[in-house]
Amino acid sequence: MELLNAFVVSLQAVWADSGFSAFTMGNGVMILVGLLLLYMAIVKEFEPLLLGPIAFGCVLANFPRTGFFTDPGLMQAIHYGIENEIFPPLIFLGIGAMTDFGPLLARPITLLLGAAAQIGVFVALVGAMLLGFTVQEAGAIGIIGGADGPTAIYLSIQMAPHLLGAIAVAAYSYMSLVPLIQPPVMKLLTTQKEREVAMEQLRPVTKFERVCFPIVAAIIISLLLPPIASLLGCLMLGNLFRESGVMDRLSDTAQNSLCNIVTIFLATGTGMTMNADDFLRTETLLIIGLGLVAFIAGTAGGVLFGKIMCRLSGWKINPLIGSAGVSAVPMAARVSQVVGMKAKPGNYLLMHAMGPNVAGVIGTAVAAGTMLAMLK
Amino acid sequence: MSHPVTTNPLIIMLINMTVVFLVLIALGVVINLIHYIDPTKPKAAPQEEAAPAVAEPVADPEPVVAAAPVEEGISPEVVAVIAAAVASMGYGAGSVRAIRPLERNNWKNSGRNALQSRG
Repeated sequence: MELLNAFVVSLQAVWADSGFSAFTMGNGVMILVGLLLLYMAIVKEFEPLLLGPIAFGCVLANFPRTGFFTDPGLMQAIHYGIENEIFPPLIFLGIGAMTDFGPLLARPITLLLGAAAQIGVFVALVGAMLLGFTVQEAGAIGIIGGADGPTAIYLSIQMAPHLLGAIAVAAYSYMSLVPLIQPPVMKLLTTQKEREVAMEQLRPVTKFERVCFPIVAAIIISLLLPPIASLLGCLMLGNLFRESGVMDRLSDTAQNSLCNIVTIFLATGTGMTMNADDFLRTETLLIIGLGLVAFIAGTAGGVLFGKIMCRLSGWKINPLIGSAGVSAVPMAARVSQVVGMKAKPGNYLLMHAMGPNVAGVIGTAVAAGTMLAMLK
Repeated sequence: MSHPVTTNPLIIMLINMTVVFLVLIALGVVINLIHYIDPTKPKAAPQEEAAPAVAEPVADPEPVVAAAPVEEGISPEVVAVIAAAVASMGYGAGSVRAIRPLERNNWKNSGRNALQSRG
């Protein structure tokens, strides 16, 4: 009898300490959300490298009593890296090492398209404020329109950390849906004649220009907008690794091993912010809706500015490359290429669209820096 | 999160878009400046690019290539490949002044040396 009592007491203690006893309906719903995101990542291949770890992090975050955020360990270290803005700049280091600024250097006028497409950020900001979000929350939501994951996470952590999970999921989901979201907007806003505009070949860019640009850009932007110095500084450092021609090993590490490792930490950690208390709210649905508005407005802004540049340049700039100004490198540039090829087979816009595409990355970071300076 | 400069969304939009445009325009100026001071850029390129802007853009290239003296024994395909390679570097077809084989045997000698050094 004594043995049976001890057995029952032990079982009760195990049950009381287990996650099942503290498991809530909210945890269950969030695990289902995580499984849905995993399905989208693995089966539908929506940004699987990012959505996969985000989804699994979401599942992990909803196991009660794990002590992930209170006890020292790997999960707390990952959380520290996110909370203290360590991972987004490291991702930018890799992006810089992967980015070819050549098309932008060959035709710097396309920087304006990267700036125009940032209108999506501020349209979403206005919408969010009208819906009752605070100005800081609205800024963090608006940056979804920049279609740049690391910048969205960087800004959210500083301005609205409780919305990080919803903002990151919205940003990465819409980035993977760029080929579905952008073409209808591009076709609606352009005529057949505009879509058929063929662009002149880009001039060759010398190594001198490629090496000087990241150095000078880092100096100027960091002095102008110190809040984003770590983001832009790392982007330009990574690019210098690539273009210098004497730091190939560093370039290789930055764009492959390091970028992959940090992506695992950043994406898993972002997913782990998706706990039921913070995520299961009406605000999450509003954020996802506003993210879509931001993407559409950004695409429209880029294309409309492209139309203006088309006229002013004497029909030498195809307005379709304007949509690539929303970042989402290189998918948005590929969309410009595909829509352009459908309008006129043989019209290759990819390299021309890469100019506004990389300009959009800088533009989004600048928009984030301005908002941090103004609103934080 | 203490004191935002303003909470008027339209003013925030206006100021931010202005700053984004100004910063990117400044970067554009910097890019042009780097190109201007670049000591390694090809010198002939601007002259070649300027010429077609005045003349008819389509009619020019073929006669220029045809006018370039090509020695016997060089096939039209080789001429086309050389002209395409020159064009891919950003020069006009008018840059091809003449096509002739060199008398030197540097490549042959280099190959022989390489074979001899193996033995």
